[in-house]
Amino acid sequence: MKKRGGLVIALVVIAAAALASTAGAGSSTADRIAAVNCSGTIKLPLLTPLTGGGGPIGNEQLSWAKYAAKSLGPKLKLKVQIVGGDTPVEKGPGEAQKVAQKFISDSQVAAVLGPATSGGVASASKSLAKAGLLHISPSATDSALAAGPKGKRTASPVAFYRVVGGDYVQGPTDANYMVSALKAKKVVIVDFQEPYSVGLANAAQAVLKAKGVDVTRLSTSVDTTDYSSLVTKVPNDANVVFFPTQQPEDAQTFGQQLLEQGKRATMFGADGTNNPAAFKLPGSYVSNFAPDISGIKGNAARIAGWKKDNPKASLGSFGPPTYLATQVEMMAIARACKAGGGSIKNRASVLKYIRGIVVPNSILGGTFRFSKSNNEPVNPKFYIFQIQKNGSYKLVN
Amino acid sequence: MAARPSAGPPPESIETRLAARVDTFIQLTLNGLTLGSVYALIALGYTLVYGILKLLNFAHGDVVTVGAFIGFGMLQLLGGSTDPVVPVWLLLLLISATAMAGCAALGVAIERFAYRPLRDAPRIAPLISALGVSFFLAYSLQLLFGSEQRDYDAFSMDNGALFFKGFSIGAVHIPLLRILVICAAFALMVVLWFLVNKTRTGKAMKATSFDREAAAMMGIDVDRVIVFAFVLGSALAGAAGVLSALRVPTYPSAGFITGLKGFTAAVIGGIGSIPGAMAGGLILGLAEAYTQGYISTKWSDLAVFVILILIMLFRPQGLFGRPDITKV
Amino acid sequence: MSGHFDDDLTRPLEGAAEASSAEGATSPEVGRDEWVARHGERVARRSGLLGTLEARFRTVPWWAWLTLLIATACLIPVFSDSGYVRRVAFDTVVFMLLALGLNIVVGWGGLLDLGYVAFFGIGAYAYAMLASDQFGVHLPSIVAIPLVALIGFGAGWLVGLPSRRLTGDYLAIVTLFFFQIFLTFTNNGDDVFGHSLTNGPNGILNVDELSFFGWSLPTTTAQGQFAIAYLYVAVVLFGIVYVALRLLDDSRTGRAWRSLREDPLAAELMGMPVNWLKLLAFASGASVAALTGTLQASLVGSVFPQDFAFPLLITVYTMVILGGAGSQAGVVIGAILISVLLEVLRDPGDSRGLFYLLVLLGLVGAFRLSRQLAVVLGATVALGFVARAVAGTIDDRWTAGVGGGGGRLAGWASDWVIVPTQLAGWIAPVTYVGLIALVLMLTLLHGWVRIAVLVPTLYLAAFVWENVMLAKPEPTRYVVLGAILVGVMVIRPNGLLGERRVEIL
Repeated sequence: MKKRGGLVIALVVIAAAALASTAGAGSSTADRIAAVNCSGTIKLPLLTPLTGGGGPIGNEQLSWAKYAAKSLGPKLKLKVQIVGGDTPVEKGPGEAQKVAQKFISDSQVAAVLGPATSGGVASASKSLAKAGLLHISPSATDSALAAGPKGKRTASPVAFYRVVGGDYVQGPTDANYMVSALKAKKVVIVDFQEPYSVGLANAAQAVLKAKGVDVTRLSTSVDTTDYSSLVTKVPNDANVVFFPTQQPEDAQTFGQQLLEQGKRATMFGADGTNNPAAFKLPGSYVSNFAPDISGIKGNAARIAGWKKDNPKASLGSFGPPTYLATQVEMMAIARACKAGGGSIKNRASVLKYIRGIVVPNSILGGTFRFSKSNNEPVNPKFYIFQIQKNGSYKLVN
Repeated sequence: MAARPSAGPPPESIETRLAARVDTFIQLTLNGLTLGSVYALIALGYTLVYGILKLLNFAHGDVVTVGAFIGFGMLQLLGGSTDPVVPVWLLLLLISATAMAGCAALGVAIERFAYRPLRDAPRIAPLISALGVSFFLAYSLQLLFGSEQRDYDAFSMDNGALFFKGFSIGAVHIPLLRILVICAAFALMVVLWFLVNKTRTGKAMKATSFDREAAAMMGIDVDRVIVFAFVLGSALAGAAGVLSALRVPTYPSAGFITGLKGFTAAVIGGIGSIPGAMAGGLILGLAEAYTQGYISTKWSDLAVFVILILIMLFRPQGLFGRPDITKV
Repeated sequence: MSGHFDDDLTRPLEGAAEASSAEGATSPEVGRDEWVARHGERVARRSGLLGTLEARFRTVPWWAWLTLLIATACLIPVFSDSGYVRRVAFDTVVFMLLALGLNIVVGWGGLLDLGYVAFFGIGAYAYAMLASDQFGVHLPSIVAIPLVALIGFGAGWLVGLPSRRLTGDYLAIVTLFFFQIFLTFTNNGDDVFGHSLTNGPNGILNVDELSFFGWSLPTTTAQGQFAIAYLYVAVVLFGIVYVALRLLDDSRTGRAWRSLREDPLAAELMGMPVNWLKLLAFASGASVAALTGTLQASLVGSVFPQDFAFPLLITVYTMVILGGAGSQAGVVIGAILISVLLEVLRDPGDSRGLFYLLVLLGLVGAFRLSRQLAVVLGATVALGFVARAVAGTIDDRWTAGVGGGGGRLAGWASDWVIVPTQLAGWIAPVTYVGLIALVLMLTLLHGWVRIAVLVPTLYLAAFVWENVMLAKPEPTRYVVLGAILVGVMVIRPNGLLGERRVEIL
């Protein structure tokens, strides 16, 4: 109508202004970007899903990272700000690459936490490595990301590390436990047609088959919520069902439907299933890359401090590794700052200090350091819990 | 529940194997009926609206999810599933009633503000508007409640009574919950049939779906009839949301898949036909259960879609529908 | 095209002026001739400053606008060193291309294709299969890109074949199912008779970069930033596609499409090969989408099944509808606006400012610098301060919070809006639903009652925005998209630059 042209002009002007405002998100030349001012506020972005299906995990990670920055900053003489970079799982792994760009251009970013998902690492790692940014993931467990003899390195960089073991450790750990402790002779493995569960399922299946266990492999879509027909395919005499889902409620539903149809198999979940509030079927097992940190000496103060900042949140398993990752990064940055006499000329220099970092009394128990031969902790361990009658998790290995 | 050590499976006789097959069949049929009755309720919502407006209400699936969430909120208000303040049967009744009422109101609002202004616009317009509403609802739920899955945890109600009480056919245990779901769905369908065929407004609705202009000329208030259709359809959607959430967890973006399955069912049965929607829902539920149980869960979704497309191509009016004749 | 009639015939037909302007010529008028229906609009348009400006704009030829746009896009790297901004610009160009393709199907062909994004995915996967280690094939881009476009055309043709007998809703269903089939197939394509076609959920990694005449273009600079070469390639591709489509639109095929869109039955009776035209529209749209897929795949370096999901489809649809289906310039503008909007909404600091700006513009648009506007603004501001003061005295914590995300406006916004430190669980759903109910009610009210309700609604909107929506930018982006889609369809179905369609019975 009569104001159409004017409307268009106005909107184009607003678009230009808005685009210009996003330009404010960090513009400087390459050299200026790479230098970090140690006395200013150092930004550590956390690339994790903050909304969407993976949101609860990401927010838990964010809360622990923030707590680490707050509590460890003064001792290391660093002012660290944790910034969230949302990479929802629904957007696919390519989103991490895009969000990473935002932080690559920011000169106050000295290192990156995450990406939290294995797919995110695969897509963003190359750019991050080229930018010289150290990135430590607290939760990307895909075996393909490992460097060294155990894994095929598809994501190249020397800049990527993780504070937890890879799935190539978790799968066999679970499988061995099933055979040795649970004496399973017939196991059903379910995968959800996405990289995490398929990777774990394959690893576990290989070990089980090698030990002569009868394995039935089932596959369903990650959107499935009604498992009744899948349950029908579970043989009546199966001992264990390996169910590595990342949605614990689905494991609970599956377990209930198993009971409903009179099957006696024991449920066995992986680290994604670890959630006492959602998966609480007594007698089931869950494996995890972190032990129950409340049982570890020295964590009482950390837990209390975190709870004070997050009164409504419950203790999960994704947070503590993030605390550790933040701690390691901050320590490396502090060393780089000291070596550079109060400033870092090029953030790639932070990478030099990573292998030398030793964390005594780490939040995950014991002393933490990286292995000499790959980008993972030395001797990564996976912990297995059994769900008790009252729903609590008890460590059994 | 630790695993029992076993010395190896005993050799199976023909009878045990046959009995096992029959049991599997019964179990799968039960699964199919449970799924199907919920799909039927959703399909009815689509059919009612399509019959009158010739509009595919893409937002319908998300109305179902809203119903599930309203029910969840009500459940929390009444004390949660382990220790509710009212007996379980009353709890379920209250949850369903609130969800149905809430969804009916939502349906009326959607019709009034997103579809009615577009009644005379080209047919593509309300479809796109429906897409927008669907998106808006799904992400509003996510905004307000977060994207975690929500579980009614019917397992804990009355110490698992809903799961462990029931009767058995052979070795197959049929729990109370499934009986409840199937019976409730059928009861609602009977009520709907009654409302559509035996009341004046229902008959007005049928007349309007035949020919809107003629009905208007006969003195039928078309706007009211359309609102009535939306109220019925959305109330059924709310009920479907609660019934489905009693058994499986729900999450904000579930509406898309639910909607897809629901109007698959409606199309199979013949969109625009009420008995068609009921039949289509049951057929879809059974087809899903059987393909998952007998063929493979990996490809069952694909199989359903391919069947659908074949039906659309060779009998687009579905099983019970009338072929669409366009008058020039 | 529609400009022809404007200048020639200035005298309306007798009686037509009264008839058409009597109803204000603002809604689709059933049963009237299109030219007559537009008369009131044409007369009204001539007057006023904006009318003159618009008339001037219309005299500028389309290729001048295109050149301006391309020049602006190419100059972006000059104005900003940030890899992020350049990446956003690249994404915007990708969206513009997608919107152009969808415009062919929806705008020109009148077909509701809900599987459009699947063709985008097919293009990306095809490029990934032709230029990566998946099958060991590494075609140079100069060969791969046209080949993928051809594959897209073929895929569109194949999908269109069974659909050609279907109309409107049925076509929508079938295309939606095709979309689902695509998703299922890419997810499960790692075990097709023992071979891995699509590598399933792990996706295809290490897709080759673009390479022209032996020179391969790295996707990032040595410092890890986005390489502007890709932006230029995208812009060049966009220019080519735009010109090609423009020429197609001005040709016989374009006119045939337009007649198909307006009334398929009449077109068929007039001897148009309707089925063939539908197929052509489908296939052309698919081809453009597949072409865009190659850009995406080569830059990101990997393809996964989740990259092509339903929200992307809705985003592209919103762009096309907002810009005006049927108008190429319109959909391009729509793409730019929505893409920028989505980026701005990512960051609470920026989106806060945008929110208040848009509300202000909306009020100005509705009340037009009158006394009523002053009353509304004044009352809302006053109400805000009063409410906040009252809340502050009742309980300190109710006003002690700071608006999420920081940014320039966070400070003064918290001085005006009630921002509690902790939000009780029930507040978010209740205020949100309440706000929606109030806004919908406002459309039903008139006069001073409307103003009286408008003031608290505005304050409630600010409250909900600050406390509920800014806390979670991601779902907020999509909620806004959904609202825009519905709003545009209800208020202005032909979007910004679309031609108003009149359904002639």
